[in-house]
Amino acid sequence: MASNPPAHPFQSPPTAARRRERWIFALFGGATYCVILCGALVFGTIIGKGAGSVFQTRAPFINTTFLTAAPESLHVFEFEGRKREMGDQEYRAFVAQHPAAARVKSESYVYSAGGIFPCIVGTVLLVIGSMTIALTLGVSAAVYLNEYARDGTFIRFVRLAILNLAGVPSIVFGLFGFGMFVIFFGWNVSLLAGWFTLAFMVLPVVITASEESLKAVPRGFREGSLALGATKWQTIRKNVLPYALPGILTSSILGIARVAGETAPIMFTAAYVVRDKLPWEVERAVDFLFQGVMALPYHIYVVSSKIPQNEYTERVQYGSAFIFLLIVAVIASASILLRNQLRNRYKW
Amino acid sequence: MASTESSQPKHFLAYKGKFRLFGLTIDDCIKVFFGGNAVVSIVVLTLITYFLFREGAGFFGQNRRNLDIYRRAGLEYVDYIRTQQDDHTALTRYLSDLRLRQLRYLTQERHLSLAEANAKLGPFDDFAEQYGDAIEPIRTIVSDLTEQASAIKTKCGVAEDKLTERQQLLAEGRNADAGRVVVESVDFAAELAPIRATLPAWREASAELTKRISQVLVTAPAMPDPALQARLERFKELNATYVAGFPAIQRRLETWDYTKPVPAAQALTSFIFGREWLTASFWQDWYGVIPLLVGSVMVSLLALVLAVPLGVGAAIYVNQMASPLEQRFIKPSIEFISAIPSVVLGFFGIAVLGQAMRALSQVSWLSWVPGFPYSERLNILTAGCLLALIAVPTIFTLAEDALNNVPRAFKEASFALGATRLQTVIKIIVPASLSGIISAVLLGFGRVIGETMVVLLCAGNRIAIPDFTMGLGVVTQPVHTMTGIIAQEMGEVVQGSIHYRALFVVGILLFFLSLGINYVAQAVVRKYRVSIG
Repeated sequence: MASNPPAHPFQSPPTAARRRERWIFALFGGATYCVILCGALVFGTIIGKGAGSVFQTRAPFINTTFLTAAPESLHVFEFEGRKREMGDQEYRAFVAQHPAAARVKSESYVYSAGGIFPCIVGTVLLVIGSMTIALTLGVSAAVYLNEYARDGTFIRFVRLAILNLAGVPSIVFGLFGFGMFVIFFGWNVSLLAGWFTLAFMVLPVVITASEESLKAVPRGFREGSLALGATKWQTIRKNVLPYALPGILTSSILGIARVAGETAPIMFTAAYVVRDKLPWEVERAVDFLFQGVMALPYHIYVVSSKIPQNEYTERVQYGSAFIFLLIVAVIASASILLRNQLRNRYKW
Repeated sequence: MASTESSQPKHFLAYKGKFRLFGLTIDDCIKVFFGGNAVVSIVVLTLITYFLFREGAGFFGQNRRNLDIYRRAGLEYVDYIRTQQDDHTALTRYLSDLRLRQLRYLTQERHLSLAEANAKLGPFDDFAEQYGDAIEPIRTIVSDLTEQASAIKTKCGVAEDKLTERQQLLAEGRNADAGRVVVESVDFAAELAPIRATLPAWREASAELTKRISQVLVTAPAMPDPALQARLERFKELNATYVAGFPAIQRRLETWDYTKPVPAAQALTSFIFGREWLTASFWQDWYGVIPLLVGSVMVSLLALVLAVPLGVGAAIYVNQMASPLEQRFIKPSIEFISAIPSVVLGFFGIAVLGQAMRALSQVSWLSWVPGFPYSERLNILTAGCLLALIAVPTIFTLAEDALNNVPRAFKEASFALGATRLQTVIKIIVPASLSGIISAVLLGFGRVIGETMVVLLCAGNRIAIPDFTMGLGVVTQPVHTMTGIIAQEMGEVVQGSIHYRALFVVGILLFFLSLGINYVAQAVVRKYRVSIG
């Protein structure tokens, strides 16, 4: 660039100040790309190592056991000169067949065989329930704040509360949920307690996102409708919400990512370390709400902190982290893509 | 006429009809419904406060009783003597450190073989052994007293259990059964008498210790090196202070009075200023939040030190310097990083980063870095690096917003006056948005101090105040944090026990800390905003 003739007569000649400027700009750029590199490193490691336990070289190329089975203990032992690795059930069947195998010393690692299906199910249930609650409360609150409320002391308080609620640490929500739902209401460790705890945690995100989408709907839409004689509610229902809804939903997807990713609030409100039954295997329909579930983030915490790290446990550790990251990443990128598209579509 | 009326849609009229519920029209009802939802956030905030206090408030009463028993069962008395023993142990450790340094000096500087060096250290070993033996009489007294005091404490515990049992039975209306529960009241004066009777023996032992220390110190062999000699002199000085502290201990023992009630405020101060968090111990449980608070703050500060330059730098770069193409790539990428769940980051720290950092610290040409090499895989550094990755997107997004809010006219005016781009950025844009950037940093701080999973998995979970004498190297030590301790211990404690309530009080502290940070962040924006217009 420097050797080229100036592009236009007003371009100033290169000076020491300009060179320094370029250096400093490069420094800032370096900081930016350093952050992205770190993020990519985390992604890359988890994907690189986790892909091994989720995909396989033989058809159907996806390790279906890992995705559809419950966690089991892994038994590693040497029998008749061969090293064998078996899940708990398989091992018992094997021992029943070969009684000699029972005498062979076998090392066992908990949760290291089988799959993570109950955890995926639990996470999905938690997300669906809590987002339903959060969207209902959050969108309604945003409608009130944006459509009905006039500035005043009360609204200032509401906004202050929302702002402060957004800053409360997730573990405090966990404590609150434990104190209120689990103990005071007597729901025990249950889906319902987890739903409400997570919903309250994500409420500020949903309210802020919804309000922004509602604000983006031009005033003219409302005024036109009101001028035609519609009531306030009719205006909101027919002329405001439909246009704001895509925005509300896409921005709320980020809330979903947050709900799915949090571990601390569900640790003592909804998550079990291990549970044999799947959530729908209940006797009465009411029990469905009052049962604890296994959840993917909590499972990752358990397998990464409570069992030793070696070649056998690594599979389940990286595999769960990979699946979890995949789910959250898909949700997050969907939100980002949808929002970019929405920005292009609605312009008024 | 009638036909036109019927063909008109009645749909809208129905809403404007006279239907009323509690004197409200349908529209009013809808408004009230929405308004009710808006109140939810206030309600939730109130409920959080209420339930945290509901579960946590009992802590102070329980802690006071805990401290009361500590005093009345004579544990406090024994701990006074124990400090003497513990200080001596610390000094003995100083001596063994000195020996290690000598050995290193002899083998590395003088090139002696290990056997020769050890032989040369013979006199020093004798000296150290004699010094170590000097404490024996005190040690015997302490271990005897420990047993006695523990016995009294157990009796207290039994009596208390019986009392609650009786109360429960009475509450259930089984008066006859309640009558059968015998509560033995503990006669503290009688129980404590044997403990207090050891005072003369202790005085003798203490005088003996003073004498022996001064005798032994004279026989200290000369060091082979001036630097080591200086350390020995320092050791002698430390001993002088140590011995000078004996009269104070004696005074405390003599004036100790088990009937003196524990002041109510101490239940609070022993939590806020307590330097020990010790639970499920056979001797005495302490609930002091300082080690946890220091851990949380250290980890968060380290994360901020790393994240602020990166986050603010990236925001400035994207907002002011990057090409549109870069902007379209960088912004979603950083948002993407914020979507990484913290538990996955924590796992990454355990599985990859901890080991990698330790390996890096053991590279020989990096040994000049303070704290390197270290052996604990999980420590402040590991957790801080990962938390920085969590803080960067928060700081980046908010700082970028703040930069965006600076009007174009500021920039254009600066260019028109002949300033370069760098000058414009540093002297105009950044100062104009400084309040926003500071509040972004504060909110980032709030984000990391409340983060749980990363610190739980990666901070090392050792409940102790890190050793600040290492200077910057302190970041290579493991700590425990407020969020981590709640997550770790909440699942194991008995509901309603003092430990359970203590965890809730930690939660209360965390809650108000985050509210405080939030408030300051808002105040900064309100007060220092450069008026833009």
